[in-house]
Amino acid sequence: MIQIQGIGNQTGKKFWRSLDELSNSPKFQNWVAQEFPEGAADVMDGKSRRKFLQVMAASMGLAGLTACRRPVEKILPYAKSVEGVVMGNSLHFATAMPFNGGAQGLVVESFDGRPIKIEGNTNHPESRGAAGTLAQASVLNLYDPDRSKEVLADGKPSTWDSFSKVAATLPADGEGVRVLSTLVNSPTLAGLRGQLASKMPKAKWVEYEAFTDDTLIEGSQIAFGDALRPQFDFKKANVVVALDFDFLELENRSLGWVKDFSARRKPAPVAAPASHHGAAADAHHAAPAAEAHHGAPAATEHAAAPPAAGEATPGMNRLYAIESNFTLTGVMADNRLRLKPSDVQNFVFDLARALGAITGLQILGQQDRWIKALAKDLQANRGKSIVLAGSRQPAVVHAVVALINQTLGNAGETVTYTKDVRRPVAALKELAGELNSGGVKALVILGGNPVYDAPVDLAFGDAVKKAPLSIHLGPEVNETGVIAKWHLPESHYLEAWGDVASNDGSISIVQPLIEPLFATKSAIEIVGFLLAGKWPKGFELVKAQSKLDEAGWRKALHDGLLAGTAGASVKGAADKTKVEAAVNNAPKTGGRIEVQFFPSHNLWDGRFANNAWLQEAPDPMSKLVWDNAAVMSPKTAKELQVEIIPDDVGMYAQKIIVEIGGQKVEAPVYVLPGHADNTVTLMCGYGRKEIGRVGRGIGYNAFAVRPSTGLGFASANITKAPGTYYMVSTQEHHSQEGRPIVQEAPLAKYEKEPHFAKEEEEHVELFSLFQEHDYSKGNQWGMAIDLNACTGCNSCLIACQSENNIPVVGKEQVGKGREMHWIRLDRYFTGDEEDPQAVYQPMACQQCENAPCESVCPVAATVHSPEGLNDMAYNRCVGTRYCANNCPYKVRRFNYLNFHKDMDELTKMVQNPDVTVRMRGVMEKCNYCVQRIQEAKIKAKAEGRASGAAGPYKVGEFMTACQQTCAADAIVFGNINDPESKVSQLKKDHRNYALLHELNVKPRTTYLAKLRNPNPELA
Amino acid sequence: MADKPSIHGLVADFDSPDKLMDAVKAARKAGYTKMEAYTPFPIHGIDDAMGAKPSILGYLVLGGSATGLTIAVLLQWWTGAVDYPLVIAGKPYFALEPSIPIIFELTVLLSAFVAVFGMIGLNGLPNLYHPIFNYSGHKGITDDRFVLVIEASDREFDATATRDFLTAQGADKLELIEA
Amino acid sequence: MAELTHAQEMKERLTPSLTTGHPTYHDVTEAVSIIAEVKTHRNWYIALAISTSITGILGLMLAYLVATGVGVWGNNSPVGWGWDITNFVFWIGIGHAGTLISAILFLFRQKWRTSINRFAEAMTLFAVACAGIYPAVHVGRPWRAYWLFPIPNEFLNMWQNFRSPLLWDVFAVSTYATVSALFWYVGLIPDLATFRDRAKTKGKQIAYGIASLGWRGSATHWKNYEKSYMILAGLSTPLVLSVHTIVSFDFAVSILPGWHTTIFPPYFVAGAIFSGFAMVVTLMVIARWIYKVEHLVTMTHLENMNKVILATGTIVGYAYATEFFTAWYSGNPYESYVFFVSRATGPYAWAYWSMISCNVISPQFFWFKKLRTSLPFMFVISIVVNIGMWFERFVIIATSLHRDYLPASWGYFRPSFVDILTFFGTFGLFITLFVFFTRFLPIIAISEVKGMMAQTHHEEHFLDEAVAASEGKQPVGVAH
Repeated sequence: MIQIQGIGNQTGKKFWRSLDELSNSPKFQNWVAQEFPEGAADVMDGKSRRKFLQVMAASMGLAGLTACRRPVEKILPYAKSVEGVVMGNSLHFATAMPFNGGAQGLVVESFDGRPIKIEGNTNHPESRGAAGTLAQASVLNLYDPDRSKEVLADGKPSTWDSFSKVAATLPADGEGVRVLSTLVNSPTLAGLRGQLASKMPKAKWVEYEAFTDDTLIEGSQIAFGDALRPQFDFKKANVVVALDFDFLELENRSLGWVKDFSARRKPAPVAAPASHHGAAADAHHAAPAAEAHHGAPAATEHAAAPPAAGEATPGMNRLYAIESNFTLTGVMADNRLRLKPSDVQNFVFDLARALGAITGLQILGQQDRWIKALAKDLQANRGKSIVLAGSRQPAVVHAVVALINQTLGNAGETVTYTKDVRRPVAALKELAGELNSGGVKALVILGGNPVYDAPVDLAFGDAVKKAPLSIHLGPEVNETGVIAKWHLPESHYLEAWGDVASNDGSISIVQPLIEPLFATKSAIEIVGFLLAGKWPKGFELVKAQSKLDEAGWRKALHDGLLAGTAGASVKGAADKTKVEAAVNNAPKTGGRIEVQFFPSHNLWDGRFANNAWLQEAPDPMSKLVWDNAAVMSPKTAKELQVEIIPDDVGMYAQKIIVEIGGQKVEAPVYVLPGHADNTVTLMCGYGRKEIGRVGRGIGYNAFAVRPSTGLGFASANITKAPGTYYMVSTQEHHSQEGRPIVQEAPLAKYEKEPHFAKEEEEHVELFSLFQEHDYSKGNQWGMAIDLNACTGCNSCLIACQSENNIPVVGKEQVGKGREMHWIRLDRYFTGDEEDPQAVYQPMACQQCENAPCESVCPVAATVHSPEGLNDMAYNRCVGTRYCANNCPYKVRRFNYLNFHKDMDELTKMVQNPDVTVRMRGVMEKCNYCVQRIQEAKIKAKAEGRASGAAGPYKVGEFMTACQQTCAADAIVFGNINDPESKVSQLKKDHRNYALLHELNVKPRTTYLAKLRNPNPELA
Repeated sequence: MADKPSIHGLVADFDSPDKLMDAVKAARKAGYTKMEAYTPFPIHGIDDAMGAKPSILGYLVLGGSATGLTIAVLLQWWTGAVDYPLVIAGKPYFALEPSIPIIFELTVLLSAFVAVFGMIGLNGLPNLYHPIFNYSGHKGITDDRFVLVIEASDREFDATATRDFLTAQGADKLELIEA
Repeated sequence: MAELTHAQEMKERLTPSLTTGHPTYHDVTEAVSIIAEVKTHRNWYIALAISTSITGILGLMLAYLVATGVGVWGNNSPVGWGWDITNFVFWIGIGHAGTLISAILFLFRQKWRTSINRFAEAMTLFAVACAGIYPAVHVGRPWRAYWLFPIPNEFLNMWQNFRSPLLWDVFAVSTYATVSALFWYVGLIPDLATFRDRAKTKGKQIAYGIASLGWRGSATHWKNYEKSYMILAGLSTPLVLSVHTIVSFDFAVSILPGWHTTIFPPYFVAGAIFSGFAMVVTLMVIARWIYKVEHLVTMTHLENMNKVILATGTIVGYAYATEFFTAWYSGNPYESYVFFVSRATGPYAWAYWSMISCNVISPQFFWFKKLRTSLPFMFVISIVVNIGMWFERFVIIATSLHRDYLPASWGYFRPSFVDILTFFGTFGLFITLFVFFTRFLPIIAISEVKGMMAQTHHEEHFLDEAVAASEGKQPVGVAH
């Protein structure tokens, strides 16, 4: 509890004294409540005229409201061992983030009681130590000053007590009571739901989220006559066919997929393979809670290492992507086919026919070559391939895919099935109908933002208004919150107890790391209250549900996982006739121009719209920040006579009007090479109206045209709108200008000449004019980045931002080229203008041994450490920017303004105390997470380990933030003097090369060349 | 003259450098040693004519240069290699090549200081009083007059004789000035 | 226009001698002193008011900059240096002509320098003052700028990195400023004595008296004085060459394509002389007209300077050509890209080609005597040349930085209004200093001119030249 007191003091006291009377007066409470919505939207743009007021408002609000504290259960580890706590040292707790019907198992770093850094949980089958961008950034939402902090009745501040009175008046039999929740994947909530059903038989419970994969389940319904969810084993698959399915990023339900997939991107060793035993040795050591994240590397080592002796080395897999948008899966693909969304369906049918899965004539003659080659490849890999389709595609496609996998003998091998449930959008439609017909007395909305993201044709906002009593529980007063009669502040998952089942059914306990910062409650507590009539304790609900004894409970908390809860795989037999019937009845979809709806890479369905980290994380393909666009191919853009006028500090995009079934929205275009023609991709989640200062008015709202009949894609009319819109991106040039930057070759070439990436290095001999420094002894840190594994997902970027207190600068400053990210993902297009390939290259400080930045710094603010790090002494830097000018990789970042000025008291709690917060006028850059290195060093000293040649560290004992979170294990960091370390192994790899090596700056970060494994028949 | 010890010397005022030059030469021939010429601009050869030694400033400046050079080398070597050695761009702690610019600049700087303040020092400046300022026409010296002073302390000095001598040299004006 | 009364007053005083064609030493004294002695004219105050208010803008901009951060400029990543260093190099370059005229021409016994060197040296000092502002304020934390000097400080008891060209700059520029100031002052001492002796008011008498240190023009004084002056000239000559060489190291020592070029030192020095002489011409044309000193600053002087401009301009043009050749011949793709794409055809082509036309083409007109002796023409060209030289620095800095090795990090630089107004303000400072200089100090080296007259054995001879030259005829016996 110590650390919790700490919070109390930090926030409560600090402002209590000065603002005591003030914060008590209802007038002030009102003012606080109202001040936030009035804050300028562009606060991050540094243009705001009322920053002072806002910051004060935020702080005072915090002060005033931290007063309302509830007595809260103890967080276990402290209850157990307070004396074990060393103030100033961080602790790690396992928990999980419920998300979109799945879950990410997490380990959260807590410093003096403040959760500050989120990482993946090694023990969790679905995270395997990795964490996605959204999960990592979610910690910022916890400290969002614009969070919903109090109960609102008709928009006026109210209290939980007065809400309780109202809630008690709900009809006992649940007549006219409707509950609308997000996807329920919490056993506790499911249990309560059951109880509610029996207590209020007439009540109905509906689940809705904007992006579900219900079509997938529906498909299995057709094929198997049962609601099944496919589970994939990419480790076993030689051939993967992704049909309009970005399984490597956006629609990824399990980071384990990426881990396994990238493990199979490693080519079979050609010459003498470097041994990885040392790496593998460490693979499984049980991790106590505090160790949990240190345990992570173990899995990394394991997953990343090529199959150990004994196993046959399966070599590099082959990925086919058939898609409309250019997704990260498409970037990774060895063969990629651009198709309109509706043509994907036909493609699947043709493929099934070619494989003899179903009978009938082919539809797409022009894809014949592709179909044949693909079919042949699949046939050759029976039982060793995966065909998978995305949720945008209709059920019939998934049914056919199920049949294909069965025909290929993949079912039971690479594809297995677990039980699942349907969550059809029809239910929401029905609810809307009931609301409009006045059949609903009370509507309880548990989380989500249906008014904003429900299909536009349901006009859900108006429907909700019709309910006599509407209650909305949400983390922010969003579009739904302002319409509902009652708004209830919802607890962040880091501050409330819960549990959650992930994609494969494994259950994790959602363990809070801090008591609620404000008077908030969780969904289970609300339902519990509706059941019992009194406020339950989330902790007890969850513990009761888990049915675990104390020991089991502790283990579950510690591991972040209830062992053996993964869903059993069920044997399903796909019914060919049923599928064929479905195929024959499949409606002819599509039109001349089709619009498809994607969740935003960064904001998902809009729930992260007030998260500045994510707003400033570049879209992986377009590199746009602080905006979304209507993405189309160059050809289509030409046909529509729309274009982007590049401007030196951004771009002016032509505006278009997208019209679907009478609904219109205006959006700026973005022309993306490789996008399917006659198709427009809309990124959802932007254009939020009722939201905090960060997200308000950013982008356009794609949900405004999304019909319930075309949740995935729909045909549309596109017309040119007058005027252009100013957008900024973090990368304006997309060609490598023929320079050897990303070394790439087909697998075939690699097998012939494995050293292709080193050609230059081997032919140009370099020498120094002076005696170079000796780095052969002690710990010498280095990094190897496998371009073949990197998916370009941005996880490392967010991890770095969170770990290193990197400020957000806002759209205007990004436009001026002043973004601060220490690691960026350079994305280059190669090949054809219309249908190119793309490659990613993570780019952070290369820690050159002969660092050009160091020699030009007049005040020696950047110098070399004995361990080969290119150190920055922030408090010595005067800011001449000479170092940045002389950096060939341009990875140095300069604080042109005081970018921390707008950070209010609450958000400051997210800062990592191990890392200096840089003032303006100071240069900064990646330092291989030197704070982690030092931490490990201290630990090693404390444990009195002997310091061998390799230094006192266990292999992979600690990792940089980017490496730790990389699901693809593309980033490997370690001691290059340690022959056992993974990094020293990789640096011996044939594909290993130093970027711009001819400058002889001797970068410590090297890259492993990219390989593609295209089907020769499609060459 | 014992009753007039406060005489600094006799001023002879000429209107052209040539006349002054002749006068100086004549004075030397006549055995005068303690004399000084005052002119609006340097007159070449007058030093030799008066038998003055060449300026020693050059040697002083040489000393300044040596000092500057030494300081520069020591500064860069000591700070870089002794007091606070840092690995910078993998380069040696101290090397001559990158040190040359600063060595050169410091050498020049100190030489210049000596050249200027040495000159001022050798000229006994700043000094806001000098007997010559008692000469009624001294303002002409910085304009267009060329003045020769034969000092009273000169063995050969004799108020009348010297006056006659200088008049013979074509001085436009003669005047005794107080010390 | 400004000092018309001067003109009249001077005429009255000088006419007899000038017309009879017998300017005496006294006439010279008069001609120069009078400028500082006549009653201050209203127009002088007007000029002062204008220039100081422009300087005020400079002050405001700098205050805003220091208070807010370098972000108020257009600088960004990758273009870490923009107008700040461009203007620094620009002003430093201008300064060089002063030292060159006063030192190098002195060593080469170029008699024609005497009547312009004082003015040129003043220009050097004022230009260096303007230049000096930039390195100080371009840093992110100006209040820590003093860390650039090797003085032990309370923060991180460590030393400077003496390998950094920026630190070489610190030494070079501060040495240059100091030595130029000393050189200038030494030259002033005898003339200050003249002013002292002509002073009408007690105040002036004391002021000039102290400033002239009690100079009395004795043979001993002159002996040491000439020695000192000769040594200073000898020191300044390599110094002035070294300063721009070292400034060019800021770029040449880096590894940036377009910067990493061994031709930079001579190329920068030539450019500096080029722009510096242009600036002297600009100022001289104005000054001799306002202060009516045509008989001292003759057409010969101006023409000689134009010849230097022609010569250096051609050298600079040659340097540009060489850069392209090296880029092509080296076969270095990054290098070639900078020159053949970024500069010649890239987003900054407009800047590059304005540089070429101003620096390489415009001075070629000076091949024609008619043009190089025409006041209005040389005035225009001299200004064009300085515009061109500003562009040269901008092109070198911006085009090299905005597109270097990794295309993903490419960007663009666009100046902010603060960039522009700051630069504008430095001209205010430059002019203000000049306004004061011409009011209170001898703008022509009196004693040196007299010395020169004496050397040219017969005064008539000198007069002929003066008269001839002021009529634009080639003088005899001066230029030998």
